Amino acid sequence: MKAKKLFPAVLSLGLLIGGGLAGCSSSDDKTSGEGGKDGDKVTVDIFQFKVEFKDQFEDIAKAYEEANEGVDINITTVGGGEDYGAALKSKFASGNEPTIYNVGGPQDVADWEDKLADLSDTDAAKAALSGTLEGVTKDDKVLGLPYNQEGYGFIYNKAIFEKAGIDPKSITSYSALEEAVKTLDSKKKDLGLTSVFALPAKETWVTGLHLSNVFLAPEFDQNVINAFESKEVTFEHGDAFKKVLDLQNKYSDQPTVSLDYAKQVEELFSTGKAAIIQQGNWVSGSIAGIDEELANSGVGILPIPVEGYKEDSIPVGVPMYWAVNSNKDEKEVAAAKEFLDWLYTSEEGKTAVIEDFKFIPAYEGYDASKISDPLAKEIYEYSSAGKTLAWTFMGYPTGWGQEKLGINIQKYVSGEMTWDELVEESTKAWAEARK
Amino acid sequence: MRNRNLWYWLFLAPALTALAMVVLLPLAYGVYYSFTDWNGIKTPSFVGLEHYKALFYEEEFRNALWFTTKFTIVSVFLINFFGLSLALLVTQKFRTNNILRTIFFMPNLIGGLILGFIWQFIFTKVFASVGELIGVEALEGWLSTETTGFWAMAILMSWQMAGYIMVIYISFLEGVPQELLEAAEIDGANSFQRFYHVTFPLVMPAFTVSLFLTLSNSFKLYDQNLSLTGGGPYNSTQMVAMEIFKTAFVENAMAFAQAKAVIFFLIVAAISLTQVYINKKREVEM
Repeated sequence: MKAKKLFPAVLSLGLLIGGGLAGCSSSDDKTSGEGGKDGDKVTVDIFQFKVEFKDQFEDIAKAYEEANEGVDINITTVGGGEDYGAALKSKFASGNEPTIYNVGGPQDVADWEDKLADLSDTDAAKAALSGTLEGVTKDDKVLGLPYNQEGYGFIYNKAIFEKAGIDPKSITSYSALEEAVKTLDSKKKDLGLTSVFALPAKETWVTGLHLSNVFLAPEFDQNVINAFESKEVTFEHGDAFKKVLDLQNKYSDQPTVSLDYAKQVEELFSTGKAAIIQQGNWVSGSIAGIDEELANSGVGILPIPVEGYKEDSIPVGVPMYWAVNSNKDEKEVAAAKEFLDWLYTSEEGKTAVIEDFKFIPAYEGYDASKISDPLAKEIYEYSSAGKTLAWTFMGYPTGWGQEKLGINIQKYVSGEMTWDELVEESTKAWAEARK
Repeated sequence: MRNRNLWYWLFLAPALTALAMVVLLPLAYGVYYSFTDWNGIKTPSFVGLEHYKALFYEEEFRNALWFTTKFTIVSVFLINFFGLSLALLVTQKFRTNNILRTIFFMPNLIGGLILGFIWQFIFTKVFASVGELIGVEALEGWLSTETTGFWAMAILMSWQMAGYIMVIYISFLEGVPQELLEAAEIDGANSFQRFYHVTFPLVMPAFTVSLFLTLSNSFKLYDQNLSLTGGGPYNSTQMVAMEIFKTAFVENAMAFAQAKAVIFFLIVAAISLTQVYINKKREVEM
């Protein structure tokens, strides 16, 4: 009798707990393959952020799996609108650690240091272009491998410029830029423009990180580590900064505080309603989604002029680095390194990097003439001519660029804050973060 | 007796285990982390009350808290006002009652994120076009100032939750005995008097529930906030939940965010409990 009654209770309890635990445990089996019962099979879990080349990357991984039996590559992509950093932390916290993941710069390297394998013995690290490893080298150890190079500036619509009679080649200084903008503005109706610029002040990364970088890089001698170690920021080229921001804001579709990336690139620029936008070569895909022809042959890039410093340069840098998890067993780490080496130094990998991924390579030994994307090509040309500015925003204090400066810029463009207040508040926030 | 005790606990065990696993343990962990310098990656070390002290100087958090409070006051009022009005409307003897109920309830079936995006389109595109058409400049550029952003949030929230709250009021309104209303009518009470003196006290329990739900929901709002305004412009429409999320993941200060969350939890708990206590006292027994 007693046993009869006890049975359903125990059963229900068992089911509940069992069911609950099953949900948690099933996901770990794959990665925790220590001992590896199925022979020499190695699983390399990749957790990466670049949404734009997800499909192409998965294809190439499949090709690698076929050529290298025993290696299993799983790719998870979280990025684009999602917060990669947050996702990565949850991924680690869940115990389901990836083998290969991404780090952004000195701050990430400092945060993740215990979980970063030394990659200096890889071929890819040796082939990396000089300067690209600056942000991820610590005590002579290379802790990350660059994805690619990216550059940004003022992307313009060639047809509109031609119609307005402006020679883009002549725009190599702030005054020339201002002149061109005024010309465009005066012919707005004929050119079918709603505005010359589209300034997405809602996207704090465009203003707070990218735009500010152009004007802050000189004071850190264009070195990301200097920025990372600097106790203060002085806005040495603040006036030039203000001028370019004001110019964009004045001739932009309003209100700029609620103008976002989609509206800037897809709604205004790709449809020819805006002539110039401040963005990088990564927008090619978005533009192609609206107007393939425009993306393939109708866009060019202009430098962001820093008056009194360099007025004809394009900021070029590495968006993210591949890192290998040092917590994994040796075999897995070795497999991960081999894969990355193959990707960037083998002939097959190189072709994919340039032709399928449409990357601007950050490594030696590539045939640059094969770059098919026009923006990428132009940026590569700037880069080979040495007309570049470094990406130092990776060295800003965590959250400063977006949450402090970017927000202050929003206040500034909507008239809630003067420029002097912006400079004062932002320098204060920097000093506080670096105390 | 001992036997019964065993049964009692045994049957309760599944529920208690689940509760402990998903509520109590995380809560305890959260409180623990708020006393450390955890950044989400490294092993934490203990820092005591430091975060709680720093909280007093955090302007962002205070602004978010103040904005949330304002928002809650307005939306609790609006939601309950519209919820009760709709409930009164659909408990009248109309033929379209059932369809109306369904229609009013429907916004609640759409997820908060999606709703936010839909309304974002309405506020930025539809409002702007209408404004341009009829020449009212105030309709253009919604979501780009603090005030309009605030009202946009309040409108969205009332639109979504009024139908849900309506259902609660309906169930209580239908429970009001007809005899009482008839008796009042015979005594010469007009419809307002009947509502105010008979119906209103009897649906008091509905207020307890509805106020609690709207109050806590408005306070904890996150998804609508994220998709509609994203906290912008310049973080002026940022609510507490979002501020905490940003502290944790954008500024990479997990432990500090935990401290904020603990304070936030205490505030919401205190307000909700007080509200329920006050409301309970005003309920009448039939």
